[in-house]
Amino acid sequence: MLRPGTPVRRSSSFVIRRALLDLRGASLILSALATVLVPSSASAQTSKSSGPVQLPAPPPPAAVDIAPAAPAPSTPAPTAPDALVTSDTSAPSVPGAPPSAGVRGNEPARVVTETPSAHEGRFEFGSYGRVYAASDLRGGTGRGTNVVAFGPRIVDEGNYAELELRREDKWNERVKGRVVATLALFPPFFHFSGKPEQAIGVRNLYAQGTYDNVTMWAGSRMYRGDDVYLLNWWPLDNQNTVGGGVGAPIYKSTAAPGSSPQYETILQLHAGQQRLDNPYQFQKVPVVAPFGFGTVDVTKLDRPRTIETLKLTQFIRPSGGPGGFKAILYGELHQLSAGTYSDPLTKVDRGLPEDSGWMLGSQLTYFTGKRDTYASLVMRHARGIASYDPLAVPITFALDRTTSGASETQIAISGNYEQEEFSILWAAYVRFFRDGSPAATSTAKYDEGAAVVRPSVFLGEYFGISLEGSYQQRRLATLQPGTNDQLNASVTKVGVIPYFSPAGRGSYKRPQIRLLYVASFRDSATRALYPVEDVFNQRSTEHFLGIGAEWWFNSSSYP
Amino acid sequence: MRTMQSTIVMAMLAACACALPEIGCVSVPDDGKQPALGTHVDDWRDEVVYQVLTDRFANGDVNNDYKVRPGYLARFQGGDWQGLIDHLDYIKELGVTTLWISPVVKNVETDADVDSYHGYWAQDLTQTNPHFGDLAQLRRLTAAAHDKQLKVVLDIVTNHMGQVFYYDMNLNGHPDINIGGSGPLQGAGSKSDITRITEYDPDWDPRGVQAFTSLGNAGRAPIIFIQDPSINRIPMAGILGTARGYHGFGRILNYDDEKQRMLGDFPGGLKDVATEIPEVRAEMIDKYTRWAELTDLDGFRIDTVKHVEYEFWTEFATKVRARLAAQGKNKFLMFGEAFDGNDKLLGSYTQPGMLDSVFYFTQHFQVFRDVFQSAHDENAQKGTDQIQKLWADRAVNYNTQPQAGGTGIAPSKSLVNFMDNHDVSRFLFEALGDKDALRNALTLLMTEEGIPCVYYGTEQDFAGGNDPSNREVLWNTGFPTTGDTFRHISKLARLRVKYAGLRRGDTNVVYSTAHVKAEEDAGIVAYERAGGDAGDSYALVVINSNARHMSTTADGAKAMKLTKPGVTLVDVLDPEAKTYAVPASGELRVIVLAQRAMILVPQDQLKP
Repeated sequence: MLRPGTPVRRSSSFVIRRALLDLRGASLILSALATVLVPSSASAQTSKSSGPVQLPAPPPPAAVDIAPAAPAPSTPAPTAPDALVTSDTSAPSVPGAPPSAGVRGNEPARVVTETPSAHEGRFEFGSYGRVYAASDLRGGTGRGTNVVAFGPRIVDEGNYAELELRREDKWNERVKGRVVATLALFPPFFHFSGKPEQAIGVRNLYAQGTYDNVTMWAGSRMYRGDDVYLLNWWPLDNQNTVGGGVGAPIYKSTAAPGSSPQYETILQLHAGQQRLDNPYQFQKVPVVAPFGFGTVDVTKLDRPRTIETLKLTQFIRPSGGPGGFKAILYGELHQLSAGTYSDPLTKVDRGLPEDSGWMLGSQLTYFTGKRDTYASLVMRHARGIASYDPLAVPITFALDRTTSGASETQIAISGNYEQEEFSILWAAYVRFFRDGSPAATSTAKYDEGAAVVRPSVFLGEYFGISLEGSYQQRRLATLQPGTNDQLNASVTKVGVIPYFSPAGRGSYKRPQIRLLYVASFRDSATRALYPVEDVFNQRSTEHFLGIGAEWWFNSSSYP
Repeated sequence: MRTMQSTIVMAMLAACACALPEIGCVSVPDDGKQPALGTHVDDWRDEVVYQVLTDRFANGDVNNDYKVRPGYLARFQGGDWQGLIDHLDYIKELGVTTLWISPVVKNVETDADVDSYHGYWAQDLTQTNPHFGDLAQLRRLTAAAHDKQLKVVLDIVTNHMGQVFYYDMNLNGHPDINIGGSGPLQGAGSKSDITRITEYDPDWDPRGVQAFTSLGNAGRAPIIFIQDPSINRIPMAGILGTARGYHGFGRILNYDDEKQRMLGDFPGGLKDVATEIPEVRAEMIDKYTRWAELTDLDGFRIDTVKHVEYEFWTEFATKVRARLAAQGKNKFLMFGEAFDGNDKLLGSYTQPGMLDSVFYFTQHFQVFRDVFQSAHDENAQKGTDQIQKLWADRAVNYNTQPQAGGTGIAPSKSLVNFMDNHDVSRFLFEALGDKDALRNALTLLMTEEGIPCVYYGTEQDFAGGNDPSNREVLWNTGFPTTGDTFRHISKLARLRVKYAGLRRGDTNVVYSTAHVKAEEDAGIVAYERAGGDAGDSYALVVINSNARHMSTTADGAKAMKLTKPGVTLVDVLDPEAKTYAVPASGELRVIVLAQRAMILVPQDQLKP
């Protein structure tokens, strides 16, 4: 999970990588020494031509939120001297050596030059995942009980995993690169369903390059800001597009040499698009083949949603230490062109008007830089098509079949505090959603909110127990069936989570192997949201007793 | 740099401020909540009913356009209650005062590729039809209508439900449509009859629908409820979700056979409810009264009353009135539809304890069809004496006393008059587009005794043929209010408001004729509207239904004789407001142009 001010975690692969770099550096130094110890004209000439190397200024530390670049090695790579060739029996085979001039016998030895490669490259593997097995204590499987869009993740989050394979390259101090491929696995998994089919989504498939301070990327990417862990939610920015972006620190000042930047301003731009496989955005229809028999498919509707984002992040570390503030101003523009689709029922062409929307949001975070302690406030307001999750199509519209009139307003707070054997995570939000439909009553007009708190006690270095309590409510602009009351559905949850944390203490230490029990108390309005044929229409209390694990490591999406 | 930071902070604050106006609790509007019940009608004869098929009037919310197929009139088109709310001003401008809306309950969605856009295929009597909106929106409609002094009458069906089950005639556990036989067998001297049997809608069988095998009959066919949630074809809760709640005799073949009429399924596989069972009766009374309670309705238009036993109507009407009156709602109008040309039959549903009124179907046939629609054909057109005779039977065939606890008006004086409706072809279709005939008929409709009812689209000269062609989409017109027919109806409605005699006066036919051809008085009908509950208000209506020549209110020595001698009458329908002096004899000879009319009021009662 990405949290502001989080100290860099070093994985085991990172440690090994460092060791390899150190070994390579040592061998290069030995080569240089050998060159110095063998006086020759060639060697002297080469040394002269090489001269003292002017290294480019090291790049600034990677901003927390900027498109990550390949990490810099801990020490600058020394300039390698030419390779020493002393053979008197064969032509040099070193690249860069001059062609053979028939060197034979006791002709004087000479040195040929080999252009040293500063390139460093490696593959990385990272992952995020969570897998549970749970019972409802009635003979069925444990089931989610949330009624709000961003309810507590406990019980409701479901099984999910990401496997990330990443290539990291550094060509020199100024140029770095990264290629990321992340596969997401969606439940059910084979051991549960017995079916070998697995739903897999490509969550990342992009390449990124950094030149000096400027990072560019292009491809398919989940491009996110900070999350609220307890709600499994990215409250400010969470783009999932195919596109590209650029980002760079545009200002930085340091109070004292060697200390963290006191002020740092980062600008990020992104543009991407989505064209969901839905007749709202995309449709192919068969037509008579121009040659021969049968039909061929032609694209009837093609109107991707194009999204542009701008993010301005300001870090302020008053003392130049690890703690400080992070302020973000964020905006989105969304466009959807007009189109025509063929009504599958009537085969009659129907128009879809162009649509648009915008979102403006902000975030203010305080972080101590110690043990993941932070507190954050996020606010955002969206209009039109930007009010809707880009990975879903709107299902209600204004009379002109646009989303004009739709709006979404969110305020979210979250935080974590840790001290010795104790920690507490908390989060809460309110959200006001209005669709564009002209009807005064609609299930797509609602207010909702949730509050959740998870205190934990660490039992020794590797074990702990968490309690979680939450309340959530959604108020819909419609009547509760069978009553004269507005439909106000609420759920209260309490749970206990004893766990084993091999990575040690901390709210964000993973992996975590857990037992968990959660009871959800559901009011009559919540039950009324379900069809009468569903047991959730009848039951006011739900149980979830399960065992599961959650992990993350070395993932570019969850650094 | 401080400037940049200040800018960022200010922008963040602006972003926050941007969100603030949106922060507010969502709520169901007050007019979407339980209304206080009240009586919104003084005298139902003052009302002009406007019948709308909700699906066809106006599309106010595209979000309930589920499986809409524009242009295909047997399918959903997208109209809804929000559309009605949005166009109440149009309705108001037309001059009508009461909305009769099509059924609101949840239906079986579709059957045999025809949709339940009309609302008559009930599946759940407790839920609103989501194609039209939710309960709050229905309440908002009635509230908005009441705010504009409009009333709302709901169409209900107690005789049948939608096609929620089939008869498993061959006992194989699924519904079949079988076609058997091959017709005459050439050279074999015999024939194999072609028969078509549908387990959805089998023919009437006096024993009840029978099961059969190749060996012969096998007793009553089991009633099997269909479980198809995709089209909402599922049994409802309660007794109407059980076989016991239905008669199970199959489709009516002979409407003159009373047993078939009472026990048979309505054509289209609409299953006949066993309304004689007390439990069923109580269910119908409770479920439908609930709609009036939930939404402050002003009346029921009741479908297919002639297919339900009389005892039901006595109990239904009495209990509905009592239950609503106890909550402050009085004068709740209940009028029934008996699609029949038998005036006595129609009147039988208005007998003491039963309904307040019925749809005046006999007038539809004998007056609007025979006299006005046929004006283009002198060989088909009937004389206006037929009108006089029919009207004279009102006091004979219909209850002349108000129902106890009812509207306060005798059924004989408050029949619901109509030219056409959703079950018959439109007036203009049968009149071959003769708009003069239409407007002439409208003059009679709006000035005769009773409660006029205008079918939506009449004002826009809709001319569709039989169902579903007569159920056109109104919003395609753009809701113009400048057409001749629209303005004619609007003017007649204003005259009704001005002159109480046109609404509440008794009827005295002062001239009618059997002549329809070249005769001097061909096509003339004239009637006074005065007395009764109209005070001293007086009006004389003279109509020439003849399409070929002007006619006069006299035939030789015989002349129209009024009960108001010595007054000067003003034709308030005439833009020039011509006056006519009635001699002391009371005899008045006026000439009326072909397919034109006069509405004459005393000069001293003239209102601006």
